Amino acid sequence: MEVNPPKQEHLLALKVMRLTKPTLFTNIPVTCEEKDLPGDLFNQLMRDDPSTVNGAEVLMLGEMLTLPQNFGNIFLGETFSSYISVHNDSNQVVKDILVKADLQTSSQRLNLSASNAAVAELKPDCCIDDVIHHEVKEIGTHILVCAVSYTTQAGEKMYFRKFFKFQVLKPLDVKTKFYNAETDEVFLEAQIQNMTTSPMFMEKVSLEPSIMYNVTELNSVSQAGECVSTFGSRAYLQPMDTRQYLYCLKPKNEFAEKAGIIKGVTVIGKLDIVWKTNLGERGRLQTSQLQRMAPGYGDVRLSLEAIPDTVNLEEPFHITCKITNCSSERTMDLVLEMCNTNSIHWCGISGRQLGKLHPSSSLCLALTLLSSVQGLQSISGLRLTDTFLKRTYEYDDIAQVCVVSSAIKVES
Amino acid sequence: MVKSPSFGGASEASARTPPQVVQPSPSLSTFFGDTAASHSLASDFFDSFTTSAFISVSNPGAGSPAPASPPPLAVPGTEGRPQPVAMRGPQAAAPPASPEPFAHIQAVFAGSDDPFATALSMSEMDRRNDAWLPGEATRGVLRAVATQQRGAVFVDKENLTMPGLRFDNIQGDAVKDLMLRFLGEKAAAKRQVLNADSVEQSFVGLKQLISCRNWRAAVDLCGRLLTAHGQGYGKSGLPTSHTTDSLQLWFVRLALLVKLGLFQNAEMEFEPFGNLDQPDLYYEYYPHVYPGRRGSMVPFSMRILHAELQQYLGNPQESLDRLHKVKTVCSKILANLEQGLAEDGGISSVTQEGRQASVRLWRSRLGRVMYSMANCLLLMKDYVLAVEAYHSVIKYYPEQEPQLLSGIGRISLQIGDIKTAEKYFQDVEKVTQKLDGLQGKIMVLMNSAFLHLGQNNFAEAHRFFTEILRMDPTNAVANNNAAVCLLYLGKLKDSLRQLEAMVQQDPRHYLHESVLFNLTTMYELESSRSMQKKQALLEAVAGKEGDSFNAQCLKLA
Repeated sequence: MEVNPPKQEHLLALKVMRLTKPTLFTNIPVTCEEKDLPGDLFNQLMRDDPSTVNGAEVLMLGEMLTLPQNFGNIFLGETFSSYISVHNDSNQVVKDILVKADLQTSSQRLNLSASNAAVAELKPDCCIDDVIHHEVKEIGTHILVCAVSYTTQAGEKMYFRKFFKFQVLKPLDVKTKFYNAETDEVFLEAQIQNMTTSPMFMEKVSLEPSIMYNVTELNSVSQAGECVSTFGSRAYLQPMDTRQYLYCLKPKNEFAEKAGIIKGVTVIGKLDIVWKTNLGERGRLQTSQLQRMAPGYGDVRLSLEAIPDTVNLEEPFHITCKITNCSSERTMDLVLEMCNTNSIHWCGISGRQLGKLHPSSSLCLALTLLSSVQGLQSISGLRLTDTFLKRTYEYDDIAQVCVVSSAIKVES
Repeated sequence: MVKSPSFGGASEASARTPPQVVQPSPSLSTFFGDTAASHSLASDFFDSFTTSAFISVSNPGAGSPAPASPPPLAVPGTEGRPQPVAMRGPQAAAPPASPEPFAHIQAVFAGSDDPFATALSMSEMDRRNDAWLPGEATRGVLRAVATQQRGAVFVDKENLTMPGLRFDNIQGDAVKDLMLRFLGEKAAAKRQVLNADSVEQSFVGLKQLISCRNWRAAVDLCGRLLTAHGQGYGKSGLPTSHTTDSLQLWFVRLALLVKLGLFQNAEMEFEPFGNLDQPDLYYEYYPHVYPGRRGSMVPFSMRILHAELQQYLGNPQESLDRLHKVKTVCSKILANLEQGLAEDGGISSVTQEGRQASVRLWRSRLGRVMYSMANCLLLMKDYVLAVEAYHSVIKYYPEQEPQLLSGIGRISLQIGDIKTAEKYFQDVEKVTQKLDGLQGKIMVLMNSAFLHLGQNNFAEAHRFFTEILRMDPTNAVANNNAAVCLLYLGKLKDSLRQLEAMVQQDPRHYLHESVLFNLTTMYELESSRSMQKKQALLEAVAGKEGDSFNAQCLKLA
């Protein structure tokens, strides 16, 4: 890690050690039975070994902490902790020691030292210690610059610097996918992949919505009163493992009308991810604002306000549609036609006029239909004709409904 | 007498066994002379079982038996009437100056030419210990052996176990080498450790070397004893025979190689043993030597070792597969016992007490296999399965429940799942409340310390570790861990003082490689004069540690 060795003999020595969390020492258990040649010897040796677990010597994972032996990897969002030690290697008292630690990235230079005051004097074989912490917020090359200035006993002012270069890597790969529901709801699937080299425990993955939306996270269920994660016993991510998180976004009431006619790019919110690795080493990341391309609705939009999700076979049921005039200037005169499919049979009058619909306004329409086929059926067959432009808009597969045999009681 | 076809005659032997050029190891050759004709040597040995003629490895031409050697010391585990085979001691120029000049190399071999006495002496304990379920092919061979009155039974050479030392003399001492390099010859000369020459050439000497941690010397001594049995360096692939003791010697040698971290060496020498199911590893294969005796000569612990070795070589899946096979046999044997049958499924003729003892033995063996599997899964980083496996182990070793639950808590900490770790540590507290004595309280304090570590609270962790030291000042783990916490709190000098005090206080126990790793790491952080301090550690180690010490932790190389 050290880049520039000192050119001249200095009285003080600067040493830096990255403080990742310690690891637990593992043993190699070798046992035998009483009747074997060594008798109790192997077990006795394990009992005498201070690094085995008292009473459970065969357990490989001991309790002894071992200091990190190398720099390791560092990832964006983690905290870089380092021990900085300035030691008086000489046999004279050194005065006015100032230790500064800066972190240089491609974009900025940060001061990390806890104290900026000079130490009056340092006796031989003594040291000045400091532990610095810094939450890494950029990827790429970082340089820790440690500068030491001091005055010798003779009054000579000395100064030296040491540079320690390290790379900050990307810890997670986040991919997002949006699903537009039949209602105004938007579902966000966030796929997160562990790009580090150690197992990762996802402590929190939450979506902070933009002002337009309310969010419901769909990653835990309530079981016996307790909140249980949908990921079950697999509580952690191995390196390169992926996990999908699901969120449901509903536009707030004051924006609900607008959501229907919003075009183009909207800002949904951002993901806030907190994870832990070895012995609680913490990392935190926030994505940038996630954007969604609103689906184009054209001039007229048909959405569903109410629909049951399970219905009985061949029994009529009701749905409520909302028809929105998405244009900004034109008042529309719409005619509704209902076409039957193999499975969907509409009840009521087809071809009726819906009345005048002003721009950016909507009307609700109750419709009745029934299904003659069991299973998951897609509701199709609505046609809206703009009488002025003589343009017909077709609405197929606007929603799904589950049709069950009437032998099964459907809770309404 | 059963002879494998390769024994049939010298000519037949040469047809099947390509003549091996025996390269006697340079060091052993001073003790055991040239072996010109390898075949004759092996068959001489085999004959010695039944004829008890004098055999001299160093001098095949020698005729007269040596004066009656003192009876070999009885080692628990050896059965039958051991056949003392006396050997001339080294007469060639051997380096002198061993504290006890030895006159005999005693090899304790089982064997007897009195079938009735042997049958009577075969105890129930042996039967349940040696019980095993051979594979189908092996069963076929053993059945053939049992029904044959005369003549040879044809056994393919591939199915025979023909081990031999694959390297000789690892009697090296890494510590002494470092001393030569860094402290000079005079200092190095002062290092005195027991080696294979300085002890009795017997099981007793072997145990001495093991207990004082001179495992390299112990490996060498095993090698010598095995060489006397005809399975020495260069004998791999040559026909031989096996006894309870020879297998115990192999087990000890291989186990020590694993303890020393010499996994490749162990794998090389394990290789001729196949999957430990070959017919010549069963007592039934030697009806004249072990009349009436049944079962496998392979110690159960050797099977565990054979399986576990693979995970240290980077093949944990192979370890799991082997452990599963052992587990299957153990479960089947237990099922047989529970149905009132004998271990191998035959009619049982033992008392209720005897059967219960057998059930206890096989349950504990099954528990040992589960323990190995859990450790293997942990090594594979399959934490979900490892935790499940450790839960199963608790059923077999309920007295270890608090330690195992604490271990699972630590696993959770390692993957970063602090909440689950906390839950497990709370369970440990509940379980230990019923225990008296310090051990339970110390476990709870240790767990609390680890929990605080997981929450980045080094100050609190240090407080808990120190609390443990108040209760148990000799607790090495608490001492070491408290010192580590001090470093993270920016107190390098204090941390060093604590570790150095620990090492000076009880060097016999605390000169442990993990403590020394920490110490040398901190020396390097402290100053440019770390080399001198590490050399001082080397001197301390030299005075106390055996040849098995892992000198890498001194970071001198």
